[in-house]
Amino acid sequence: MEGVSYQRFPKIKIREVKDECMKFELRNTDASIANALRRVMIAEVPTMAIDLVEIEVNSSVLNDEFIAHRLGLIPLTSERAMSMRFSRDCDACDGDGQCEYCSVEFRLSAKCLGDQTLDVTSKDLYSSDHSVVPVDFPDSTGYDSPEQRGIVIVKLRRGQELRLRAIARKGIGKDHAKWSPAATVTFMYEPEIHINEDMMETLSLEEKQSLVDSSPTKVFDIDPNTQKVVVVDAEAYTYDDEVLKKAEAMGKPGIIDIRAKEDSFIFTVESTGAIKASQLLLNAIDVLKQKLDAVRLSDDTVDADDQFGELGAHMRVG
Amino acid sequence: MNAPDRYERFVVPEGVKKVTYERDTKIINAASFTIEREDHTIGNIVRMQLHRDENVLFAGYKLPHPLQYKIIVRIHTTSQSSPMQAYNQAVNDLDKELDHLKKAFEAELAKHSADY
Repeated sequence: MEGVSYQRFPKIKIREVKDECMKFELRNTDASIANALRRVMIAEVPTMAIDLVEIEVNSSVLNDEFIAHRLGLIPLTSERAMSMRFSRDCDACDGDGQCEYCSVEFRLSAKCLGDQTLDVTSKDLYSSDHSVVPVDFPDSTGYDSPEQRGIVIVKLRRGQELRLRAIARKGIGKDHAKWSPAATVTFMYEPEIHINEDMMETLSLEEKQSLVDSSPTKVFDIDPNTQKVVVVDAEAYTYDDEVLKKAEAMGKPGIIDIRAKEDSFIFTVESTGAIKASQLLLNAIDVLKQKLDAVRLSDDTVDADDQFGELGAHMRVG
Repeated sequence: MNAPDRYERFVVPEGVKKVTYERDTKIINAASFTIEREDHTIGNIVRMQLHRDENVLFAGYKLPHPLQYKIIVRIHTTSQSSPMQAYNQAVNDLDKELDHLKKAFEAELAKHSADY
């Protein structure tokens, strides 16, 4: 028996792409797919992060664990993470960082010699692999802006020293949030706003103005020429129902009708810099596909069902 | 210490099957699939895809306990289909949908990078 396909063909439209930020529209699918993509982007797309720290000298004011934690939270460029191995699955090593397939070694050595406090930053971390380095902010405005100096790990005063070896490993956000490549991923239903023009005609200008002002975000405005209420930014609507309540209170329910289009979503993706926002979505699709492949029924499960007679055998064709 | 390994939440232990299938003993064409180390991400998309299948009379999933890292998908179909067939169909359709989504996004991305 050949199963009929219930496949959907989603449409996607990019509004804006930058390296670390992206906005797009997703249509012809449902909230389950949108939410699965969001969940995968946040918790299951792999990146690199420092996971093991060996401290040689630490005479700073912060204790060893504190520094190790701070090192873990530094985002590392992770374009290569999808093709790397998890150290728990790596046959080439026992996860000690000697292996190019699963780990990257970092070294940090800093000592304050002058009277000025010394900032130890992510720029002081030296990587054994040029493709896995702390994220950089190239488009900083001033030369001496704080971004140019990297992420501060600790500050040292005269005589204090910090020397350590750190190992970065591949991981996912489900394990620890330091591996999450996403700063924020959100989606909303696209709102569809209809104004009942006939009812709107019955309102005075003041009433129109108070209706427009009842929305906490700037969704509506009054056209200065025609004095009609118009939708200026439907997407600014936060589904707060304030205008609808106002309309009700004015005795004009139904003057404005707002519906969520249940098959259209507006996504905002912000990356930590570990991978580009556009790559984050592509990786999320790949990870979700791998997950689906993993949940396919294995042959022995199907065969075990055959003992229940020909029903199982003939149902499984196609 | 006795802390469990963090990866126990998403790595299927050795000797445990990812998906197990269990027929309902009382109702014909009803069955439960226990999926190890999966959560709402998979559960909800499979459920919603099954709802699109007109031969599926019931499809639901549950996460029995937040510290048991498994979901149970329950499917009841008409005699025109079977839970196993409906499940396979849903997974295949979702897979194709994601293929389509990926191609659509890559095309859109190429258009955008050409612009600037």
